[in-house]
Amino acid sequence: MPTQSLFEGAISTLQKTLNRGSLRHRVLTSNIANIDTPNYKAFEVVMEDVRQKKDGFSGTLELVRTGPRHLDGRRRASSDVKIKASDPPPFNLRADGNTVDLDRTMGKLAENTILYRTAAQLIRKKFQGLKNVIQGGGK
Amino acid sequence: MDFFDALNISSSGLSAQRLRMNLISANLANINTTRTKAGGPYRRKDPVFAAQAPAAPFHDMLRDRQKEFLKEVSVVGIVEDGRQPIKKYDPTHPDADDNGYVAMPNINLMEEMVNMISATRSYEAGVTAIQSAKDMALKALEIGQ
Repeated sequence: MPTQSLFEGAISTLQKTLNRGSLRHRVLTSNIANIDTPNYKAFEVVMEDVRQKKDGFSGTLELVRTGPRHLDGRRRASSDVKIKASDPPPFNLRADGNTVDLDRTMGKLAENTILYRTAAQLIRKKFQGLKNVIQGGGK
Repeated sequence: MDFFDALNISSSGLSAQRLRMNLISANLANINTTRTKAGGPYRRKDPVFAAQAPAAPFHDMLRDRQKEFLKEVSVVGIVEDGRQPIKKYDPTHPDADDNGYVAMPNINLMEEMVNMISATRSYEAGVTAIQSAKDMALKALEIGQ
């Protein structure tokens, strides 16, 4: 069994989750740090749907495309994480052009922390399992 | 996920209450303002809140019927109070009319203070709700340990 496949699957997926979590954390903290910066535009990390259809494995039926302008009816196979300017709050009373919404940002920060901890804990469990196997189970 | 729905909904409440607080501050600060861009005295401002389904991908909406009942609060508008300005007799005031009366904003200090307490309490409730949602999620993480 090649060693590489040990860390494929769950571990590498969780690794991506952790990476994305830390990126999101950095973006959110930069928004909070710039809460009083005039004309600062808040940013957010947008995650595109990364569930992609792998060759040879298809859980869904595909739509037949009979014209070039038809949609392909499949989730886009993209694992891109984009950083874009977030929408300003609907009634921004601030005169300095800053678009940071402190309360929503703090809520997102809490959400991100929990997601990150979940992924970190899952990856820890995975490694524990591997270690358990390597040591020959609980002797 | 449900925990994050709770977080997002509470955050929207905090954001709305903060805006309400800002408007109350503006009302209090302008309690004696007789000049505005639109002309006439300052008019009391109030936010209008509406329950709105949180932004979610369409397939999520189809999957979770319960999302129908989960509503965020959003500010749909800011309205001006239609009450008539208070006429105050003060002939020395530069904005006094020919009879010596000045139109002052019709802002009731007590009303604004009560609104302020209400906004503060609602904000606190939102913070507590967020704290509980966070605690629940973190407690759930402890199951696996």
